[in-house]
Amino acid sequence: MRRIGLWLVVAVAGCGGGSATDGGTADMAMAARDMAQAAGDMAVAAGDMAQPPGSDMASAPDLAMACPPPVFKEDLSACKPAMTDYQPRDNMSKNDTWPACNSDDNVFHPIDPNSVSTIARTKAFEDIAKKLWDAGKIPVAADFGDAKILYTQAEGIDSRVQRRQDIHYPELANGAKCSDMGLPAMFPDRCAGPAKLLPILNDAFVKGAMGDKPLTQAARIEAALLWFFYISPLSEIWSSTSSVKDIDSMVAYYGGGFTRDNPIGLGRYVKAIAPGTHDRVFDGLLAARCWRNLDMEMGTAVNLKQRGQAWAQVDKALLRGMALILRARLGELKCAMGDRKDAHFAFVQTIGPLMDRAARVIDPAKADALKAQVGAASADKVDTAAAQAALDGLFGCP
Amino acid sequence: MSPLRSCLPASLAALAVSLGGRAGAEPRKVYETTVSAPTVEELPEERASTTVRRSDLDRRQPSSTPEALRYEPGVFVQQTSHGQGSAFIRGLTGQQTLLLFDGVRLNNATFRQGPNQYLFTLDLHTVDTVEVMRGGGSTRFGSDALGGVINVRPVEPPGVAASWVMAGESDANAGGSDGSDFASPAPARRWFVAPRLFARGATADTEHGGRAQVEAGVALPHGLELRFVGGAGAREVGLLESGGPIVSPENGLPTTARENFKKEVPRFGSDGRTQLGTGFKEVTGDGRLVLGIGARHAVKLAAYLYRQYDAPRTDQCAPPEAPFDECLTYEQQFRTLVYASWDGPLGAAASRARATVSWQRWHERKRLERPGSFYLHRGNDDVDSLGASLNATTGTARPRTWLGLRASWGADGYFDTVGSDAQVELSDLKLVRVMRGQYVDGAIYFNGGAFLDGELLLGRRVTVRAGGRVSAIVARSPELVDAREMVLDTPKIDRSWFPVVGHAGVEVRATGWLHALVNVDHSFRAPNLDDLVARQPTGAGFQCGNPLLDPERATSFEAGLRLRTSPVTADAWLYQTLLHDLVMKQRSEGCPGGGGFRSILQLTNARGLSQIRGAEGAVKVRLPYGLNGRATVAYAWGEGPAPESLPVSRVPPLNGTVEINWSLPRGLAAGGALRWATKQDRLAFADKSDSRIPLGGTPGFAVVDLRASYRVGNQLAISAVFENVLDAAYRYHGSSVNGAGRGFILSMEVMPTH
Repeated sequence: MRRIGLWLVVAVAGCGGGSATDGGTADMAMAARDMAQAAGDMAVAAGDMAQPPGSDMASAPDLAMACPPPVFKEDLSACKPAMTDYQPRDNMSKNDTWPACNSDDNVFHPIDPNSVSTIARTKAFEDIAKKLWDAGKIPVAADFGDAKILYTQAEGIDSRVQRRQDIHYPELANGAKCSDMGLPAMFPDRCAGPAKLLPILNDAFVKGAMGDKPLTQAARIEAALLWFFYISPLSEIWSSTSSVKDIDSMVAYYGGGFTRDNPIGLGRYVKAIAPGTHDRVFDGLLAARCWRNLDMEMGTAVNLKQRGQAWAQVDKALLRGMALILRARLGELKCAMGDRKDAHFAFVQTIGPLMDRAARVIDPAKADALKAQVGAASADKVDTAAAQAALDGLFGCP
Repeated sequence: MSPLRSCLPASLAALAVSLGGRAGAEPRKVYETTVSAPTVEELPEERASTTVRRSDLDRRQPSSTPEALRYEPGVFVQQTSHGQGSAFIRGLTGQQTLLLFDGVRLNNATFRQGPNQYLFTLDLHTVDTVEVMRGGGSTRFGSDALGGVINVRPVEPPGVAASWVMAGESDANAGGSDGSDFASPAPARRWFVAPRLFARGATADTEHGGRAQVEAGVALPHGLELRFVGGAGAREVGLLESGGPIVSPENGLPTTARENFKKEVPRFGSDGRTQLGTGFKEVTGDGRLVLGIGARHAVKLAAYLYRQYDAPRTDQCAPPEAPFDECLTYEQQFRTLVYASWDGPLGAAASRARATVSWQRWHERKRLERPGSFYLHRGNDDVDSLGASLNATTGTARPRTWLGLRASWGADGYFDTVGSDAQVELSDLKLVRVMRGQYVDGAIYFNGGAFLDGELLLGRRVTVRAGGRVSAIVARSPELVDAREMVLDTPKIDRSWFPVVGHAGVEVRATGWLHALVNVDHSFRAPNLDDLVARQPTGAGFQCGNPLLDPERATSFEAGLRLRTSPVTADAWLYQTLLHDLVMKQRSEGCPGGGGFRSILQLTNARGLSQIRGAEGAVKVRLPYGLNGRATVAYAWGEGPAPESLPVSRVPPLNGTVEINWSLPRGLAAGGALRWATKQDRLAFADKSDSRIPLGGTPGFAVVDLRASYRVGNQLAISAVFENVLDAAYRYHGSSVNGAGRGFILSMEVMPTH
């Protein structure tokens, strides 16, 4: 219902032949904004499925769309948990292979409930979102300055982007570290934060602050940060082996808190699109907590097999969540026009290649198909249906 | 004439400036304590205390004033940076210990909780003695003297008569052959100018530097004498090479191992020994002018300037896990102290008195750089302190032959004004944004009080002492509004406290050589502006002030024995310090500016009793053949309030020292020293998240130094130390910096004759 209401509104806004910013009159734009707000209110009142965060469907004044984006309805009926999965929602984990642990009550029990560092970073992501892209915002140059201040605050997101490793890739040999001089460039896959994400973020902030395609730059920042928040929980599981408090950071990177409900950050994105996938992600996070509860909780963990099981469960569900975010954006790309289309294309171009590793592990042919679309020369040349089909085939279950 | 003496470089000889008349000069005697006239700022004699003398400094060759305290019992020197050092006394440090320079308070309104760098900013070349009193001392010295008091006494210019005698020009007129007899008849009109050069180098950190100093004096008519000592120096200190990374007691792996990635402090260079984030530059200058008026009065005017540049904070340069080029650097740490004092009797009110007026400026500029994202944070903090004090001691009144009465009294006040600003620069965006500083710009702080100390001498064997102090402390800070967000950033603060403290003690002289002492002391520390309004990163997390703090108080009980015989002197003390309303860090969510710090902390008073108890001992033995030895040991145990009863943060482990010195003929001396500490694994919660403390605590260590020195008359002295002979990898508990690896320290002092 909300989607229909919004579609009517954006259709009105776009009837001038372009977006409010690149062709529509100010009056029309204002009218569209008012109507969008009204429609948004109606949709909230109706309680229908929410649009994915980051989407431009909420109240954007500049929306010119060629079609209503397809509605995604999650169906996990064909999905079965792996034999090694931890399932706290199923009879308090009594039907899975995991020993009893403190996660069995389906609640995340933090090691240190007062640890707020990662929560602050996730909240900073939300603040950046408000500055740059949430609610269809069209950022101005100053917003990028404000956002970068938020991004670079002490011990904030930037400090962790610069440290972040993608532990899907092997550790550096001979004790070398991504923090060493010159090594990120030599090992960009493992040193993904400084080598892959940081250049995107730096470039997008500068270009945005210069007024160069602000929607596009905001989308690049959004995509890069979402990827950061995808690899971070996985990295924290790995580091919690010797630093148990990182298990709290793991869950805080995903949802900004310790509870299943009302996540922020990446968790908000995933839950809005696919609540079932979100639940599976949280199950995995509880699995990781369960592992640390069972494995020398106050010391260095030794049961790396169990760690691997939890890690794989989280990774699979998170990848599905990331795939659905990309899938939704592909749908919007198909229907968007003008700067919005370029922005969606930038988002797809940023996040798409980062999914190639996982896709290739699952099905090289589908990975090639996906790569061909997210690497298309222009937005108009993206076969969104093909890309979505590839994603569905690759990441069908969380 | 010795060969070395004859080989002095001509360039050094040229510095012997002769301006006519009969001029002489007294070099400070390298191996003897400089004689300083007693002042009323002496630390209370009945308390547990030790003194580091100039001769100790020359023999041990410490690189800084904090390091000069490494061999004192009950003192444990922590280093967060190579250009910093903070002395723990009886388990307390920072703003909980009081620093004095010639009786002038160095503690100001922004002295930080935990280890700080301020003692480092006293140029060791200007130091004559460092007196350390352990235990509370607020009655005499006011706020902050909870753990102890460090009083650094400067080198005084030599008297004209003494210098003339020391130059060997006329023993007949001087009346003393050792040059220390200041009461000898002075010539009617004499003067001198004597230059002195110091040079020092070390291999572990490629330290190289020196100082040029001038001493001068002139005897004037009417019993006046004008004396001066002053100089300027500089040094550059490079990256410090250690014995390598230390090992985590928890997992047995070095701090550089992947498993210890959160505790990778410090960062090492490719050789695995050189510590990144170390090194600094330093420039100093000072002048001290003394006008002696007869035998009993003196007016002094002194200025001491210290300038330190580019000192990285080692644990933040780079922080664990961060890129190699992320760094917090103290670009400038400047201290300027100017004061004038008068010493003399005050009629019937005091046989000795001293009045001082002082001005001190502390300036700090720091830079946090994250080049990967073109981020730079700068902060400037300035504190100006105006101070005045009057201290006096009466003579001993004896109404009965078995009864003596003596009193000390005084008053002091220090008024601080604070300037503070900060800004973030994003160079790629060409964006500069002004932020709130670490403190609130325009805040003021007053700290003052008056005391009265009495001493009752009962016969020849018993002395009873007691005293009290009333203080007044006022803290004011303006309200700050965040202009961008239009919200209240920092509330207005207007606090005042009027603490009353005191002490009492008994000394029993059981024999001429054995004294027993018992003391009880109640001291306080009023919250300063750092406690009330500061926002700052610390080792344990981002820390916010708390405007509602109350003063913390310490009640100390101590009992000691003093043995004084010709071959052996010894001191042994037991103590217990009960800390009321101890200011501690507590987890908090409401702290602006904390960003994503692992821990957001706010200071709070612990509503319960914390305690530190321990024992200290020192023994010195004089042996035949010029040998003497000294050993110290100290243990402290700290516990926070019940019911948690957690360990107090950063309490040092069991530690001690052993020194053996051998004085040889012809100016030669040799010796060796051992410093040791056991593992400290009693960790407070904050210690566990402190990257300076490895997983499971700080391992123990034993470090051996060898020393040698050679003196040629009073013209040349050379000292060498072969430090850390066994190349041990070691760290003082709570430090970011590992101790120096095997290396040499060489120093030279030259005073050309003329």
